[in-house]
Amino acid sequence: MRIMLNTSKVSTPSTTAGSRSGRILALALSVVMSVPSLASAAADAQALHKQGLAALAARDWKVAVDTLEAATAAAPDDIVIGTDYRQAVIGAAAAAKVLDPYNRCVAFFEKLVVDHPQSANAFLNLGFANVDKIPAEGAITQVLLANRALTQFGKALELEPSWLGYYSRGHAYLFWPPIFGRVEAGIADLEQAVAISKKKGDRQAYYARAWAALGDGFWRLENIDRAREIWKQGLSAYPDDPELKARAGRAERAELDAYLQAHYDTTVRVATSLNEIFGDRLAPAPSK
Amino acid sequence: MIQGSEIEAMTQPTLEPKRASSGAVALTTSLLVFAVAVAQARPEPPQASPSPQAAAPASKAAPAPPAIRFQEVAERAGVRFVQTPRRFRDRHKAQVLEMFTDGGASVAVGDYDGDGRDDLFIVDSDEGKLHHLMHNDGVRDGVPVFSEVTASAGVGGGNDAHSIVADALWLDYDNDGRLDLYLGRFGTPVLFRNLGPDAKGVWRFEEVSQRVGLTVFGNTIGSIAFDADNDGFLDLMLANYFQPVNLLDLKTTKVLPNNLDYATNGGGVTFYRNVKLPDGSRGFVDETKRAGLSAHTGWSLDIGHADLDNDGDQDVYVAGDYGTDRLFLNQGVDASGRVWFKDATEDAMGGLDTRKGMNVDMGDYDRDGWLDIYVTNITDEYMKECNFLWHNNGVGKDGRLTFTNLSKETGTCNTGWGWAAKFADFDNDGWEDLFAVDGLRSGGKGNYIPLLLENTIIKPGVDFSDLDSYPDIGDMTWSGYQKKRLFRNLGDGTFKEMAEAAGVANLSDGRGVGVGDFNNDGRLDFYEGNARQFSQLYLNASETAGHWLELRLQGTKANRNAIGARVYVRAGGETWLREINGGNAYSSQSTFRLHFGLGAIDRIEEVEIRWPGGSTEILKARDGKPPLPIDAMSTIVEGKGVQR
Repeated sequence: MRIMLNTSKVSTPSTTAGSRSGRILALALSVVMSVPSLASAAADAQALHKQGLAALAARDWKVAVDTLEAATAAAPDDIVIGTDYRQAVIGAAAAAKVLDPYNRCVAFFEKLVVDHPQSANAFLNLGFANVDKIPAEGAITQVLLANRALTQFGKALELEPSWLGYYSRGHAYLFWPPIFGRVEAGIADLEQAVAISKKKGDRQAYYARAWAALGDGFWRLENIDRAREIWKQGLSAYPDDPELKARAGRAERAELDAYLQAHYDTTVRVATSLNEIFGDRLAPAPSK
Repeated sequence: MIQGSEIEAMTQPTLEPKRASSGAVALTTSLLVFAVAVAQARPEPPQASPSPQAAAPASKAAPAPPAIRFQEVAERAGVRFVQTPRRFRDRHKAQVLEMFTDGGASVAVGDYDGDGRDDLFIVDSDEGKLHHLMHNDGVRDGVPVFSEVTASAGVGGGNDAHSIVADALWLDYDNDGRLDLYLGRFGTPVLFRNLGPDAKGVWRFEEVSQRVGLTVFGNTIGSIAFDADNDGFLDLMLANYFQPVNLLDLKTTKVLPNNLDYATNGGGVTFYRNVKLPDGSRGFVDETKRAGLSAHTGWSLDIGHADLDNDGDQDVYVAGDYGTDRLFLNQGVDASGRVWFKDATEDAMGGLDTRKGMNVDMGDYDRDGWLDIYVTNITDEYMKECNFLWHNNGVGKDGRLTFTNLSKETGTCNTGWGWAAKFADFDNDGWEDLFAVDGLRSGGKGNYIPLLLENTIIKPGVDFSDLDSYPDIGDMTWSGYQKKRLFRNLGDGTFKEMAEAAGVANLSDGRGVGVGDFNNDGRLDFYEGNARQFSQLYLNASETAGHWLELRLQGTKANRNAIGARVYVRAGGETWLREINGGNAYSSQSTFRLHFGLGAIDRIEEVEIRWPGGSTEILKARDGKPPLPIDAMSTIVEGKGVQR
C-alpha cells in the first residue's frame, strides 16, 4: 500500500494536475480501505520525524539516524522526512569517519524503492543518498555513485515528472566532464525544469537554480555567450538570486571559470538538504 | 542539489583522511610562520647577489634568467633511447595486458666503476630487448658523454619469454666495494655481481640470482635496497603490482584489480633479508611474513624508505595503485632475531586512502628536521585525486608520528597522471625542488576514457578483475600529452611550477627519473625515461645557482653504500638534512651522493653524519678552517673522516 504523509511541508514535486489528483484519489482510497493503519503510520511518521529532528539538532547521530530511518519507512514518499534522514546519515558518517552510515542509507532506500515501486520521492532520495556518499569515496567509486544517482533520478522522473527531479538530474549531469557527452542531457533536463517553473508561474525563489545550472551547462560546453544569455534571462525573472548574480557578475572569463570550477569540484560535498525548497527544519520555531 | 547545508556546518563531511584537523590547521599556521621567518633569512644565490641585503635590482633591459634552466642533451650525450614495454603478442587481451604493464622505463644512476662519474643503467622491457649500461666518459664540448658497455659487462639480459624487467637498482650487496646490479622483474629477480675489471680493464658482471637466493616469483615493479636491520648489509624490499601469477602464461583472465579504489588482490611487498650463506658469502632469504609485511595485498606500484620518525632505523612507505598506500614503521630486531615493521598507516595518516599511488620520494622540503613524503596520484579532467605531499609533523608528546597532506597548500597537487617525482635542489638555493613526470599513453585522436567508462566502469555487474571486461585501446590516447612539472621551492612552504621556463615541459609519457650530477659541476641534472618514446637527459644550466656541497659516503661498519646514512650540514645558523636512499621514486634510482645547495653561504661550519647502525661523526671547523670545502665533492669514510 502506498502511504502518503499528510503534512503541509510535504509539497511533493508533482507537476501535473492529473498526477496530483491521481495521488489524492489513491490516498483517499487507501484511507477508506485502511483508515486505522494509515492514520497510525502517518502519525507515527510525524512523531518520529519530530523526534529525529530533535536528535539531529542535538547531534545525537545514532538516535537521529535510527529515528529518521523509521520515520522514512513509515512515510516512504515523503521527500522531507527522507531528506532529513539522509542529513542525519551525513552527520553520523562524518562524526565517526566511517562509510557504514552511507552504506546503510543506500541499502535502506534500495529496499524502500523495491517495496514501494511507485514512490517517486523514494527514488529521488535514493539518488540523493548516492550523491551524499560521493565525497567520502574514491575516484572510481564516485563515478559509480554518480551514475547510480542519475539512474534513480531517472526512475523518479518516469513515475512523476517534477521540477525537483529534472533539476536534480540535470544538475548531476553537469558534474560529468564534457568528454563523456552527458552535459547535453543535463541541459535538456534543466530546460525541462525551467519550462515547468514557467508553467507553474508561482515564482518560487528556488526556481532560479535551474536557470543558473542551465547556463552552467552551456559554460561546460564552452558556449559562454549562450550561458551568459541564460543567466541574464534568469536574472530578469529572479533579480535577487545570489547564484545568478554571482555568475552574471563575473565578466572576466578566468574569474567565471574559477568560480564555476569550484562549484563543480567533485571533491566538495553537494548539499542535498533541500532547505531552499522546504525550509530549514532545524531552525527554531518562530515565537508566537 | 543546492549548495549550502546546516548539516555540513555541523560536521566534517568526508572520510578522506587527508583533511587538516584543527590541530593540523594550527600546525600549518605555525609552519607558515616558520617558513616566513626562514624566507626572510633566506640567502640569495651568490652569482645573483652576494647577500640578501645587497641584492641588486634586476636589469630592465634584459629579463633575469629563470632560477632553474635545463638543456636537453640526450642525443649529444649518447643516451637517447626508446623503451618498449612488453608486447603480449598473440595472447588473449594482449592490449589490455599491455595497458596494465606499461611501466618499466626505469633508470638507475650509480658509479659502477668508481671513477668519480655517475653512470646510467637504462631498462628496456620487451622480449629479447637489451638494457643499456652507459659508462660516463666525462665531459666533451660541455656535455657528459656516455658509451655503451652493456655487452662487455654482460648485463643486458632478463627480458625472456617468461619475465619482464621493470626496475633496476645499484647496490653493493656484499660490501666488496663494487656496485652490483639488481633487476626487478615480472618474474624472479636478477642480480648481477660486479666482478670488477678484468685483465684488460673491462668491467665484468656475473649473474648470481639463484645462488644468492633471489628465487621468489613476483610481479615486481618497484624496488629499494636499504639496511632494514642495521646489520651492515643491504636488504631488499620489492613492490609487487599483480599477485604472483605469470602474466605471460595466464591460466585465468581474472588477474586485474578486484576494486578500483580498494583493491586487495595485488602483489603486496616482498622483503629479502641479506644473510650470510653457509659458504660465507652473502645472499637473501624471503622474510616477508616474518617481518609482518605479508598482510598487505595491495597493488604496490612504488616503495620508498627513510627514517621518518628519527629513531635511527629505516621506515617504508608503499604507494598502492587502486587505493591504500601503506606506512610501515621499522620496529627493529626483536628477541627472535627478526626485523619487523608495524603498519602505522591509519594512525599516522589518519586513515586509508583510495587514490592511485604511483611514486614515493622523501625529502625535508621545509627544513624542519623531519623527512616528508611525496606521492603522485592521478589528476586529470575525469579524475581529480591530487597528489599527497605528506608533511611530517614529527613525533608528538603522545609518541605518535603523524603526517598532514599539504599538496594543495604547497601547490604540488597536480602532476597529471603521475609517475616518478624527485626532490632535488636544482638551483642550489638551499631548498629542495620537485620534478615530476606524467602521462600514460599519448596516441591518436581517439580518447579511451569514454570507452572505458561505458564498457567497463559503469557497466552493471562488471568484474573489474577480468581482462575481458576491458575494451582494447588500439591507438587511442589515455591521459597522454601531459606537460612535465617542475616545482621550485620558494622557501616559504610553497612551490612555484616553472617547467616551461626551465625547459623541461616535454610531453612524453614519463616513467622514471634518475637525478645525478653527470658533469660534476655542482648542479643536479636528470635523466627521464619514457614509455615507447625517446628518453631525455637534462643538463642543468641554471645561471644563478648558489654554492653547493656534494658528499660521497662510504660505510665500514655500515653498509658500504651508506644507504640510510643521515647528514646534517650546518652553516650561517641554518641546517640542512639529507639521507642516502637506495632507489626512492618510481622506476628510478638517483645518485648515492648527497647534494646540498647552500645559496649564498660560502662556508660550512659543521657536518654531522649519523651512520646506519647508530654511530655518529661530527666534523667541525678547526683553527678557522671549515670542515669541508664548498663547491666541491668530498668523500667521507666511516670512522676515518674526510678522504682528500
